[in-house]
Amino acid sequence: MNLTENPIFLTQKRLIHRAGVLAAGLIAALVGLSLLSGLIAYLADPRDFDFKSPQEAGRIFYGWTIGVEILVLVIGGFSRISQALANDRKAGLWDSNRLTPLKPREIVTGYWFGSALREVYMGAILAGIGLVIVILAKLPVTLWLGTQILILSTTLFFGLLASLVGMALQRPQNGIGILLVVSFAFLQVFSFMFTRLAITNFLLPSYGIVNLFLDGSRAVNDYDTPDWLAWPGIFGLPVPPIILSVALQFAVGIFLWRATVRKTANPFQPLLLRWEAMAIFGLVAALQHGLIWEVWHGRFGVQLHNHSDYAANGQPLLAITHGGMLLLGMALLALASPLPERVRVEALRTGSGNLRMIFSRSAISLALALSGIASAALLMQFVRSFREEGLAWALATGNLFAFLLMFSLLLEYCRLRFKRRAVGFIALWLFVLCVLPFILAGVFSSEVLAKLSFLAPGTVVLAGPETGDLEFLAGCTFIHFFVVVLLFYAWQREWKSLLATPASLPPAR
Amino acid sequence: MSNPVLAIEHLRVDFPEVMAVNDLSLTIEAGDACGLIGPNGAGKTTTMRAVSGLQECTRGSVRVDGHELAREPEELKRRLGFMPDFCPVYDQLTATEFLDHFARAYDVPDRAKRIGECLELTWLTEKRDALCEELSRGMKQRLVLAKTLLPNPQVLLLDEPASGLDPLGRIELRKLLLKLRELGKTVLISSHILTELSGFCNKAAIMERGKLVVSGAIAELGQILGRRQMSVKWRSADGPALQILKGAGVQNLETAVQGATFEFAGNADALDELLKTLVVAGVRVTEWRGSGDDLEQIFLQSGAKELM
Repeated sequence: MNLTENPIFLTQKRLIHRAGVLAAGLIAALVGLSLLSGLIAYLADPRDFDFKSPQEAGRIFYGWTIGVEILVLVIGGFSRISQALANDRKAGLWDSNRLTPLKPREIVTGYWFGSALREVYMGAILAGIGLVIVILAKLPVTLWLGTQILILSTTLFFGLLASLVGMALQRPQNGIGILLVVSFAFLQVFSFMFTRLAITNFLLPSYGIVNLFLDGSRAVNDYDTPDWLAWPGIFGLPVPPIILSVALQFAVGIFLWRATVRKTANPFQPLLLRWEAMAIFGLVAALQHGLIWEVWHGRFGVQLHNHSDYAANGQPLLAITHGGMLLLGMALLALASPLPERVRVEALRTGSGNLRMIFSRSAISLALALSGIASAALLMQFVRSFREEGLAWALATGNLFAFLLMFSLLLEYCRLRFKRRAVGFIALWLFVLCVLPFILAGVFSSEVLAKLSFLAPGTVVLAGPETGDLEFLAGCTFIHFFVVVLLFYAWQREWKSLLATPASLPPAR
Repeated sequence: MSNPVLAIEHLRVDFPEVMAVNDLSLTIEAGDACGLIGPNGAGKTTTMRAVSGLQECTRGSVRVDGHELAREPEELKRRLGFMPDFCPVYDQLTATEFLDHFARAYDVPDRAKRIGECLELTWLTEKRDALCEELSRGMKQRLVLAKTLLPNPQVLLLDEPASGLDPLGRIELRKLLLKLRELGKTVLISSHILTELSGFCNKAAIMERGKLVVSGAIAELGQILGRRQMSVKWRSADGPALQILKGAGVQNLETAVQGATFEFAGNADALDELLKTLVVAGVRVTEWRGSGDDLEQIFLQSGAKELM
């Protein structure tokens, strides 16, 4: 079905136009024209300004223009789409649309492209004014084209994410946009210092945009160029940052698209299928290790690459990557694991409610798979130094398995045991097992206590060859596996008890 | 027996902590209007949602005109219209725009004409350009019904259509439901307001705690359940009439001046025989009314615990 015939799109458009788009358009025009008039004033009389050239002035004014454009399209668009979907779900309109012969992908497309039309109009006005700024300042049109491609790609990516959030929200949340800004701002600030070595600088296309502003056309894979000017390398192969950002957003976007379409077809399906979770994890792990390849060239712990700019601060990169993998694994486990009650219903449906079936459906097998993927990706950094540093890799691998298994077991145990209160208990136990040791270490000034955390062995051993007492860290990992075994027994008991419980009838009146 | 238009077989729906529908089987034939009756939490809405495809079933099958929900959901969607117990409307669209949205979604041919027909059928023609938010609850309910009728579905599922309506709204709804029957629609309708269903439904299905207690033609349900509530009045002496009524098959006889009410346990032929006996004995019967086909009676006799 053509987008212009899509009833969801048309209705969203109708609703937005009825609420009014003129004021929003005028605001965007005023902001853009103010910036344009600043440039015109400089060009008319440069003596009143501190800019060294029209190009510098143009970059500053165009930078502000696309800053506002990003804010409107990405953040505003995200908020609008997620709210439109959550509102329609609450009102029962989403179900009404699902009852029609419209295909799930047509419903998703309608909301994706239609709910944030006001923001699209504002973005288009700002993009047009931005083009005028670029031309007047005699900047290369490729700057405008490149940045607009990245903004469009990011808008579409976050639009899909918003659709998924709107489907997952129990009720419309006005603060979701603000929460998103804070989360991504934190992520961006944290990853900014790692420039072309952090995948987050490509998922949020900050590297590509800064690179274009620095005239990236001159740059190749030359490590002598400043950090933001060089092309990123994947296992040494230079890739243009725009291509990397768009390709990464497209690849992850495919999984978001599949999830939104699946959720529209059947809201009881999990957000991610197991193979999708593994594919996303594998993609991120391979890409992140590919990006930091230039630091060690497979000789982690032995020597840093001679030409690396990261000789001074490069070593924590692997520890941070390891921590990131643990957190991503945790998020994917939470998204891809089905609720125990759904597994029980499936067991009832198929008549095969045994622990073997439970194991195949539960998050444990996925945790094992994700740990294996992360370990294999990590091995790439040790490929030329395995003889010397193999123990560090083994410890980090042990930590990956222990942490992800612990989380999957804890997740399902708490869901089985505490049902609707599960989230609170999961947070409590994660705090006790992962964060509390660090707090106690600070209070008692003892590094030993910090190493007891489930997060510690891998991150400590990967922070550098001199930083870890390997035997002690191995002991901590052993203790962690003991905790995993205890959790496994508790998990098993809860499952058996759930499967043994006959389905209850509604209470008699 | 003709093929059922709607066939539900061994339907089971589980929620996290409760089995909402338990092994429910029900068939409805073309042109039937079946009332789905039951107390709160009986599983009526869940059944309707499961039949429409909005709620995932644990087991069982749903077929509409031979098309199975699990295998041909698209075919089923075109043949079945579901109206929920609340009014999902886009507040900022006009009634016509709202219907146009769904007419496009159902790919209805000659949209404008069909929208006009549905607005007329639901007495909303005058409100065609009014915003949905300006409509009363009853009008919104009728607009949602118009939306449900747009693709001309074979089977209509109406979940508590009278909920939240004022007395005038209920009267209008009742008239509208009768109109649907005239159009030959097959309807499965749930309601707490049993008087709304009486006179409209020719069949009833009573649910309690997720299970179907009894179902069938209303005229037969009283007999199926074993007792039929009767009332009789006469214009002659009480003695002979009461003497006859104290005979076999009559229970809980309550006498009044020149009249009585009683429960009759026999079948329709036995009841006819009883009337004949009274007339032959010279009792001048002026009223002979059976309330066995009254849904409220059937519901109470079925043993379901709560009636709203």
